[in-house]
Amino acid sequence: MMSSRERVRLALEHQEPDCVPLDLGATTVTGMHVDTVYRLRQALDLDAPGTPVKVIEPFQMLGEIKPDLLNALAIDTALVSGTGTAFGFPLEGWKEWQTFGGTPALVPAGFNTQPEPNGDLLLYPQGDRSAPASGRMPQGGFYFDVIVRQEPFKEEDLRVEDNLEEFSVLSDQETEHYRRRAEELYTQTDKALVLNLGALSLGNISRIPGPGLKCPRGIRDVEEWYISLGTRRDHIHKIFERQTEINLVNLEKIHAAVGNRATVAYLSGTDFGAQNGPFVSPLTYRNLFLPFHKQVNEWVHRNTTWKTFIHSCGSVWALVEDFIAAGFDILNPVQCSAAHMNPFDLKKKFGNRVTFWGGGVDTQSTLPFGSPQEVCEEVRERIRAFGPGGGFVFNAVHNVQALVPVENVLAMYRTAREYGTYPLRLESAA
Amino acid sequence: MAQFQELQQAIIDGKAPVSKELTEKMLKEGIRPGEFFPKAIIPAMDEVGRRMRECEFFIPEVLIAARAARASSDILRPLLVGEDAMSSAGTVVCGTVKGDLHDIGKNIVAMMLESAGFKIIDLGVDVTPEKIVEAVRANHANIVALSALLTTTMVNMKSVVEALAAAGLRDKVKIMVGGAPVTDAWAHSIGADGYGKDAPAAVELARQLATA
Repeated sequence: MMSSRERVRLALEHQEPDCVPLDLGATTVTGMHVDTVYRLRQALDLDAPGTPVKVIEPFQMLGEIKPDLLNALAIDTALVSGTGTAFGFPLEGWKEWQTFGGTPALVPAGFNTQPEPNGDLLLYPQGDRSAPASGRMPQGGFYFDVIVRQEPFKEEDLRVEDNLEEFSVLSDQETEHYRRRAEELYTQTDKALVLNLGALSLGNISRIPGPGLKCPRGIRDVEEWYISLGTRRDHIHKIFERQTEINLVNLEKIHAAVGNRATVAYLSGTDFGAQNGPFVSPLTYRNLFLPFHKQVNEWVHRNTTWKTFIHSCGSVWALVEDFIAAGFDILNPVQCSAAHMNPFDLKKKFGNRVTFWGGGVDTQSTLPFGSPQEVCEEVRERIRAFGPGGGFVFNAVHNVQALVPVENVLAMYRTAREYGTYPLRLESAA
Repeated sequence: MAQFQELQQAIIDGKAPVSKELTEKMLKEGIRPGEFFPKAIIPAMDEVGRRMRECEFFIPEVLIAARAARASSDILRPLLVGEDAMSSAGTVVCGTVKGDLHDIGKNIVAMMLESAGFKIIDLGVDVTPEKIVEAVRANHANIVALSALLTTTMVNMKSVVEALAAAGLRDKVKIMVGGAPVTDAWAHSIGADGYGKDAPAAVELARQLATA
């Protein structure tokens, strides 16, 4: 039988492996909410009742996908990520916590919350309760949303470095962490390793407010940021230019530590798509983002064997050509429910030039609200659309959310493996 | 009139300072405040909506234009009294439903509705059904516009429909819904009156519902 690593490698080279590779949790955009991870582990008898699950990403409250769960679902990928979080505290010093959904969890030491009178929970940058809160989970909620803390500014006082405070050259300690983690997973498992470098994203709207900073300066309001893409183009260009310089240094350091043990590098998590079309015009993407994406992709392709991964939710049909021109090898999450994102059309137009990573089942309707049978049918349809000729790694469209029935998750992965065996059975292809 | 056209263009081009200056200048020249909306602001934002629908405008351009429209309307609103009082297209209570803190989409819809002549009571994010009922009553609203971004919170739209019914207000207001996971089928299933797939569609829907 083919190893997971080989299976993923072939798929990324647009060849048909023995079966469609499966991903769960190899990135922070292909993972699962901690509540669902807990219920899944319980359903699979992997833990005694009450055994807590680690929250490895406190913004979206993603649960840890441990090797036993990867193996139980026959997943082919594994996550290699840094020690940082969006809120600026490290993933260390674990302590017990309970989600509003009642899930026993483990959270990092810096995960310090404070309840508001209405029951909302506040979270603090770098875990410092004396700083203004930077995250809010509504009472009964499942995630933190970033609190915008925009200081008033005068146009002439705007400085490029203010929007760069959260980006810095990685410490040797951090690169050593990447090295250890990659070596461990490379030698102890046969999974394809995915370097999670989403923090390199340019203009990622969930990070613009600077949730990890105690006192964010510069343009930190989300609407003001979008406006700035039109009105302060030179300023944004300079921010991206400087950020890319830092990113290139970091990529070099990470490559020196990890080498080609990794198969994939997740490089951009900025959302360019809304439900009905792109957030920004293709021209804005071409002028403002593409040159820097190209620079980073070229470096990776020149110096490593990594395939590069871009995540963008929503309707991005109008931008895929430009993502390919920028050198990205992999597109995620392939939100087929958005406008102009028909899976068969996507495959036909772009399928031999980009790998679709995701798109396996809709996470806004079918997975949370459908029956296992409906999940199964949609998974089959997506395999028929994206599977032929390789160039497809199976995952749901984005993270599996809270409140998703466990039987739907199990139906999704079971169907993906059973039906995703090459040669595919395409008899009922649409 | 050339000046109204100039103001329209300034709004479409997103030139907030120009829009403000022109408005002030035109008022000084004796143009009545009530004329600006039908002759400049509403047609300008209709054009912005058209460009958004036809993928000529995207989020940054729409926000920039809406800001320019606001630069003018902020000056005009306090003056719209007496014979200049505008016949409002309707009163809309809007908000993002309980448990959901996302407001970019809702804000864009609110700005576009405001520029289309609706009076907007924006309750913000994480809004309880009770607050919506209260606001509908206090403001004699005829439309409720609800937003949700999350699959885990869209169910709270249904609670609002039920709360309005329980308060005896259901036949006094039309309910429109929108947001990433929301669909036309969902709107029907919870007993809402319509679904707006984007901001221009929401304006069109609100116009239909207000006259229905």
